[in-house]
Amino acid sequence: MSDCGCDQARRDLEEYLRHEVCKTEHADIAAHLETCAACRDEVLVARTLTEVVARACRETAPEELRVQVIARLRDLQAQRH
Amino acid sequence: MIATLEPEAIVRPSDIDWRVMDDDAGAAVSDGRAQFEQQALPFMDQLYAAALRMTRNPADAADLVQETFVKAFASWSTFTQGTNLKAWLYRILTNSYINTYRKKQREPYQGTIDDLEDWQLGGAVSTTAMSTRSAEAEAIDRMPDSAVKEALQAIPEDFRLAVYLADVEGFSYQEIADIMKTPIGTVMSRLHRGRRMLRDLLADYARERGIAAATRSSE
Repeated sequence: MSDCGCDQARRDLEEYLRHEVCKTEHADIAAHLETCAACRDEVLVARTLTEVVARACRETAPEELRVQVIARLRDLQAQRH
Repeated sequence: MIATLEPEAIVRPSDIDWRVMDDDAGAAVSDGRAQFEQQALPFMDQLYAAALRMTRNPADAADLVQETFVKAFASWSTFTQGTNLKAWLYRILTNSYINTYRKKQREPYQGTIDDLEDWQLGGAVSTTAMSTRSAEAEAIDRMPDSAVKEALQAIPEDFRLAVYLADVEGFSYQEIADIMKTPIGTVMSRLHRGRRMLRDLLADYARERGIAAATRSSE
C-alpha cells in the first residue's frame, strides 16, 4: 500500500479503459476512480482523445474504388477458368 | 431488391452479378466470390481510412485497398469462417503496406523507433501545461479533424499505426500484436508513447490557436 491508488490508476489507465487488465485490478482502479477526481479527469482526457481520433479518421471510400475492386474480383475469377 | 451501390459512372455493368445469392447451385466458384464480396467489401470504408493514414494520399490509399482485396480474395479459402474477418483483412492491408508502399515511399528507416527515448523523438517530454485536465479534454474535443489528422501524421509511423488500430478500430492488444507482428509489450509501449505525443501536439495546437480558453471561439 504505497499510495492512495493514483500511481496504479495512472500507470494502467489506458489498459483499464481498454479492458486489458484483469478483473481484480479493474475493480481496484474502478474503486479508486470513485474517490479521486484528479484521476477521473485523466480518464476524461484519455477517452476524449480516443473519441476525437476516431471521429477525425472517418472516411468513405470513393465509389470509383468500389467499382474497380468489384471489377478486379470478377476478372480474377474469370482468369481462373 | 434495389442495389445499394449505384456508381454514377460505370465502366461496365458491374451490378448484374451482385445478387449472386439467387444464383443456381451450379456456380460454386461464383458463390465463393459472392460470399467474399458480401463479407469483405463492407470493410472497404474502414480499410480505405486506414490506408489513407498509412500512405497519406488518396491515390496510394486506393491502390493499397485494391491490392488488399485482391490478395484477400486470392487466399479467401484460407480464411476460417467465424473468425475475425476484420483483423484478417487488416493483417493483409498492413503487410501489403509494409512490403510495398513503405519501401516505395523511402521513408527514413524506422526499425529502431521503439528503442529511441522520448527526448530523441522531439517534443513529448513534459506533460503539457494545460490549466486543468478538464480544460485539456475540452480543448481536445474542439479540435478540428484536420488538426487531429495532421498531429497523427506527425508521430512516428509505428506509433501512429498502434494508435489507429486501438483508437479507431478498437482492436485488442493481442489483435494489434498479430496485425503488426510485434509482442504485446511493444504494442503497449507504442500506444502509450503515440498517444502521449499526440496529446502534446494537440495541446500545442490548442495553445497556438487559443482553443484552450473556453470563452474564445476557435472559428
